[in-house]
Amino acid sequence: MLALDLLVNGLIFGLFYALMAVGLAMIFGVLKVVNFAHGEFYMIGGYAYVLISLKLGIPPWIALGLAALAGAGLGWLVERLLMRPLYAGHGSWSITKDEYAVVVTFGLSLLLINLVDKIVGPYPFLGPVLIETSRFTIGPVMLNGQKLIAAGVSLCLLIGLALFIKRSLWGRQIQAVAQNRLGASLAGIDATKTTSMVFMISGLLAALSGALLAPLINPGPDVGAFPAIKSYVIVVLGGMGSIWGGMAAALFLGVFEAFFAVYVSYAYRDAFGLLILILVLLIRPQGMFGEKGREV
Amino acid sequence: MSEVNNTRGNLWVNRLKKDFRASLAVVLLLCFAPLVVTTPYSFGILIVSIYFALLALGWNLLAGFTGQFSLAPAAFAMLGAYTTALLDYHLQTPLSIGIPAAIFGTAVLGWLLGRVVLRLTGPYLSLTTLSFAEIARVVVGNSIEFTRGDQGLNVPTLFENRIGYYYLFLMVLVATLVLLYLLMKSRTGRFWLAIRDDATGAESRGIDVVRYKTLAFSLSCAICGLAGSLYGTFSQLVSPELGLLMQTGLVISMVVIGGMGTLTGPIVGAMLVYLASEWMRDFGGIQMIVFSAAVILFARFLRTGLWGLASKMMQGKGKP
Repeated sequence: MLALDLLVNGLIFGLFYALMAVGLAMIFGVLKVVNFAHGEFYMIGGYAYVLISLKLGIPPWIALGLAALAGAGLGWLVERLLMRPLYAGHGSWSITKDEYAVVVTFGLSLLLINLVDKIVGPYPFLGPVLIETSRFTIGPVMLNGQKLIAAGVSLCLLIGLALFIKRSLWGRQIQAVAQNRLGASLAGIDATKTTSMVFMISGLLAALSGALLAPLINPGPDVGAFPAIKSYVIVVLGGMGSIWGGMAAALFLGVFEAFFAVYVSYAYRDAFGLLILILVLLIRPQGMFGEKGREV
Repeated sequence: MSEVNNTRGNLWVNRLKKDFRASLAVVLLLCFAPLVVTTPYSFGILIVSIYFALLALGWNLLAGFTGQFSLAPAAFAMLGAYTTALLDYHLQTPLSIGIPAAIFGTAVLGWLLGRVVLRLTGPYLSLTTLSFAEIARVVVGNSIEFTRGDQGLNVPTLFENRIGYYYLFLMVLVATLVLLYLLMKSRTGRFWLAIRDDATGAESRGIDVVRYKTLAFSLSCAICGLAGSLYGTFSQLVSPELGLLMQTGLVISMVVIGGMGTLTGPIVGAMLVYLASEWMRDFGGIQMIVFSAAVILFARFLRTGLWGLASKMMQGKGKP
């Protein structure tokens, strides 16, 4: 029953991917740019969790919350300092918007990696686990406590986020700005505040994802690269800017990779994810669940 | 700029001419470097900085002149280097065929990739080239029986003499500059600029946008491939590390700091960034922190780069 084990573990990894990818999809939704520093939000989250709990001796559950706060703070800062000129009072910039966003977020990604490398050191840290258990099996599925708890937290967060976006006033404002920034602001929505909020949520989720995985993956300064690339694949697969599409695509990619690594080739697992990205962009650029912007 | 300025000094052709002359002046200055530099180690640094200047020119052709943000320049340098190295390793092909094969191979590959991706724009193009770059690196690094994987391949060298190599790289740099200057002066260059400034407008005036974008892509890849191939024969070792995203980051920072959309900017940027990074290595490896911070600040506040600033000062305009 290897297949069932792979399915469950693939779904769990899909949940982690979803935490990352949803934030990226939301940023693309409201600003129509790709945040190339998204993997570094993840890395900062992992480091914040490990350093706070190991060096300051704060219990892991509180450290998890603090790491999430650090991610949200970073997201807010990035939006305030670097992203605001994209839409606030710099009309002529709209032509070179994509270029600016690529250069600035790519630069930010290198900056954060090298800062952490310099300040904390290039060696990976192993984070403390949230719950102390050895490996156990449920039927044919092999799990450990940390993985299960992390998956549970991710699932709760994703459901919470879905309700927040769907039901709350702020969530609806985010949807409105993503559909049409001008139209939303005409209807009295503060688009600037909404964008700021999207970056905070995005940073929070990515940092939490890094913190939850810290006990499983030894975060080093460049740990964000692969999760970030995975989230690009997911965001394209699910349709740029579509939150539901992103969640579905993340689960799909997690399962697909788990099977691919075992049945085809472990070394080429990451390359095939990227191949999917190129193929989707060519055949169906709007993704599986893509949604077009609405005109006023 | 709000008012239209029609003085002769401000026409694009004249600005390009001035830019080209300035870039040749920089190269001329570099020709005299052997008077000051004597140790083989420093020559190595200079040669690598010219390698980066070539990559920066190649990337700038796409990003600065045509407005297409590729994230694959380092990957194409790696592919060019591997073309030469694999031909030598498997077929014992001499370098006189191996190096042109690298140019041709990367140009064709760039053309094919260009055909496929250039219907995409903006973030989609960046994402696709980024994934292409990563796929290329993963495939090269994992095809151990064909490429020896991360161990890399040994490549024969053209000549042992470092001064000779230095002048060879300078000659290639001049040739690239002349080619780019002639192209930018011609119809093709105007079309590229038109596509950069307004792709829809260019298309409506009858410019075959995809064709000209593909041409720029292919040429840019060929420049990167040639640079990579020459670098491989110089260092006599080709490994997947040539294609790391960090290398692409360096190239981007060089162009942004030097000045995008110019000929002098990328060269000055490459020299400045690479030499400064060697210098800063003595202060404990802070070079990447400084450059990535510089890239963000330049993109945010000084979008024309150092060369844009310098040329504005020379025009006597004072305030930008």
